Amino acid sequence: MELITTGYAGTMESNDIMITVEPSDQDGVQVELTSSVYQQFGKQIIAVIRETVASYGVENALITAVDKGALDCTVRARVSTALMRSAKRSDYTWEVRQDV
Amino acid sequence: MSDLQIYQAVPSQWGTAYAALLAETGLRDEGHTELTVLLTQGEKLLGCGSLGGKVIRQVAVAPEAEGQDVCARVVTVLVGEAAKRGIPFPFLFTKPKNARLFRSLGFHPVAETSDMIMLSRRRNALGQFLTSLPRWEEGVTGCVVCNANPFTRGHLHLITTAAAQCDHVLVFVVAEENGFFPAADRLALVQEGTAHLSNVKVCSGGDFLVSRTTFPTYFLKDAQSAEDARCDLDLELFGRHIAPALHITRRFVGEEPFSPTTAAYNRRMKELLPTFGISVTEIPRLEGISATVVRQALADDRINDIQSLVPETTYAYCQRHFGGNSPRP
Repeated sequence: MELITTGYAGTMESNDIMITVEPSDQDGVQVELTSSVYQQFGKQIIAVIRETVASYGVENALITAVDKGALDCTVRARVSTALMRSAKRSDYTWEVRQDV
Repeated sequence: MSDLQIYQAVPSQWGTAYAALLAETGLRDEGHTELTVLLTQGEKLLGCGSLGGKVIRQVAVAPEAEGQDVCARVVTVLVGEAAKRGIPFPFLFTKPKNARLFRSLGFHPVAETSDMIMLSRRRNALGQFLTSLPRWEEGVTGCVVCNANPFTRGHLHLITTAAAQCDHVLVFVVAEENGFFPAADRLALVQEGTAHLSNVKVCSGGDFLVSRTTFPTYFLKDAQSAEDARCDLDLELFGRHIAPALHITRRFVGEEPFSPTTAAYNRRMKELLPTFGISVTEIPRLEGISATVVRQALADDRINDIQSLVPETTYAYCQRHFGGNSPRP
């Protein structure tokens, strides 16, 4: 997936995470994390962000994350949304049930 | 339930409460904001914040509403609005005592004076700007910062004088669009007009040298007193961070008899920069030459009048854009 513009998702309120995705001409995915629980969960949050970015086939990006204690599922959701917005894509099928 | 609204200007029914909240938190309404966010609950104003250009400022929370994520909600909206306007990494200005709160919202300190701290949403924003600039390990490096709107013989005289007194001269051209000549053209004209000076390098001042971000009053037309000019942050940035990184030990400025803001800036520069080990040299102005006079002549279609005021490169540019029926830039 190709990133085109700045994409952001989420908020900086409690239990949420705000993700900003920027296209980058440098190699690799760079993650800048600010977190209220950095000591305890910083590594875990960065791993979830990287995993989600990789699952979209994005290889170069600058991800800025401001976390206020979001759960992993929230982190995944916010990163996914920010990536789709950055790629200007809306062809997701998140409302469609896939487990039946 | 609280209610969050975005306004272009603070609506009159909230005017009094807004002014009171700013006063209570020791902030002042700096004006020139594009939008203001108000978080309200019934008749009460819980919090506010504004966006102007690349800068978030006047973020305040009512004391009785602290601990309710008010600041986070306001700043989230402002960051989102900035991103929509193509600014993924806005700056934020606040009182130094609030720095910790904004650090927790992903802002990183850039520079600080006794009553103001500048933060950026990009980590190491200033460092990234500085790595893009030239520097010399040996010899004396001097610096000139100019708007050059447009580049005149007065600017050339200032830069030539600096070049004669230093081994290297770094010229910064104000990056902000501020009317008449586009920023890219102003920069190009300084580069062309100083190409014959082998020890001079011309760069854009970016966000950190006399930008609307660090020194907003420079771009206001009103007369300003020294205290009102609020140029300390710009000088702090230059003296403490920029000059040492680029080995600059001298700054050259043109004498300023007309603009009170620039005159106040020069005065303050002479007070502050020496405390960082930077000497300031003020060069007397060339009689009758100023960019203001040039702009006035061009506005009045008197292009011939400017020939003696500007270098040939600037004159050729003006002929292309202002001579006859040429399109204006």
